[in-house]
Amino acid sequence: MSTSATATINETPHLMKSTGQGLFNFVAGLAILFALWWIGIELISRSSTTAYFASFGPVPTFRALATLWHEGLIQSAVWASGYRLGAGLLIAIAIGVPIGILMGRIPIFRELSNSPFQLMRMISPLSWEPIAVIVFAGWNEAIIFLIAIAAVWPVMFATAAGLAKVDPNWFKVARNLGASRRHVLTQIIVPAITFDVLTGIRLALGVAWIVLVPAEFFGVTSGLGYTIEDAREGLNYDQLMAMVLVIGAIGYMLDSLFVQLIKRYSWQRQS
Amino acid sequence: MSAVVAPAGALAFLRQKSPGARRFFFGIVGLAVFFAVWELGTLLLQLNPATRTFATFGPVPTLEAFPLLWGEGKIQAAVAASGYRMGAGLIIAIAIGVPIGIVMGRIKRFREMSNSPFQFLRMISPLAWMPLAVIVYPEWDQAIIFLIAIAAVWPIMFATAAGLAKVDPAWFKVARNLGAKTVHMLTQVILPAITFDVLTGIRLALGVAWIVLVPAELLGVTSGLGYAIKDARETLSYDHLTAMVLVIGLIGWLLDTVCVVLINRYSWHHRGNH
Repeated sequence: MSTSATATINETPHLMKSTGQGLFNFVAGLAILFALWWIGIELISRSSTTAYFASFGPVPTFRALATLWHEGLIQSAVWASGYRLGAGLLIAIAIGVPIGILMGRIPIFRELSNSPFQLMRMISPLSWEPIAVIVFAGWNEAIIFLIAIAAVWPVMFATAAGLAKVDPNWFKVARNLGASRRHVLTQIIVPAITFDVLTGIRLALGVAWIVLVPAEFFGVTSGLGYTIEDAREGLNYDQLMAMVLVIGAIGYMLDSLFVQLIKRYSWQRQS
Repeated sequence: MSAVVAPAGALAFLRQKSPGARRFFFGIVGLAVFFAVWELGTLLLQLNPATRTFATFGPVPTLEAFPLLWGEGKIQAAVAASGYRMGAGLIIAIAIGVPIGIVMGRIKRFREMSNSPFQFLRMISPLAWMPLAVIVYPEWDQAIIFLIAIAAVWPIMFATAAGLAKVDPAWFKVARNLGAKTVHMLTQVILPAITFDVLTGIRLALGVAWIVLVPAELLGVTSGLGYAIKDARETLSYDHLTAMVLVIGLIGWLLDTVCVVLINRYSWHHRGNH
């Protein structure tokens, strides 16, 4: 799991070697994507049987983007989804990091918890949905639960893997220097695993982002998933594409934020 | 992940046993604890009259529902339908992701230019494509396969590219000096070098596809694991619901373990390091 995450990070310095070059690649890459999109839709909508695809093109999409922004639909959807995502991720971190530390520090706990945790991890998060809806009073809580249960595993396993990499001598040295339990936690464990926890949170964010949209398809009348579903039912394909763009852009921004944080707290690469 | 979290120190009384036997022992005990906690939670819920209806969520009704569902052939049918969609989606993702990943790893210009559009597309939540997929594809089956493929292609692509980036450039020089053609370069150098990373990517892709599969099957289709869950909920048969949830967890775990075994088999990085 961490292999691909670190690999993507390793590539970023290449891009950022000169900010000008990086910016050019960033803009040019996206420009090519939009050009391909425009040409593709242009070709498809030329045939009369598929002419209705024209509203999927970039021009109607950007027009719809402006309309949706003016109506405040994008802001309210982002606000509602952001709250659910944030609450779910916070719960996942609050549960995942302590359990991950226990897994990393206590071998018997790690070995005993492996089979139940692997089983629960591979339960597709959305299959909890019927249970979550019955257990929780509101749809909001059910969605937060789904995000939390999807996001907790990457955080937990990344924390445990991070601790497993820490040189055991550090703990010995700390104990010999008279460190209390609290000091071992705040002075050794937390700084040592920050990098791995952030890597885990980045993976968790990706998973939570996948779960968020289908979780909002049902029950609720707010959020990014609902807005997409609403646009489809109203046959507003330009608005549909505009919301797809918004989801991609926000996801990209959040992911880049974590890449920056991970680079900031990476101490493994200095050695 | 279990490969990373290898059991370093264990109880002394188990040290003489083989690691496999110890793993098995702890696996069984761990699952037993899991079922015990589940049963305990159910009993606590049963004490309160307000939550007594949740008793059918317990492990006993769930395990009793298993042979019933199996006897009716519901589990087999759901697994076959979902398995076909998963398999088709993953194969498409591999067929697209690995070649593009190789191009990304080999051609610097392509890697730099493709970074922003690919990262952007990657972060479009796969289920956001669903309304579009339903319009484009005439059948739900194809739409679901498309959703799985578009979710699974990114981990495979990025893992392939990262794997190639790690390969010593001298290998390519040596191969070229020894007269290797492009075909030989691909089959003799690139593919053996990146098998480990591609498998790691496939494992990640499998996890993502597994997440996407269930919500994709909640709508439209009348087969598969996602539909089975929805069906159980609508008929209020909560024991069937938890049984299907358990089936999903078990199959996912099995698939993940197969990937881990394959990854360990093709891992040459570790042998070089130690």
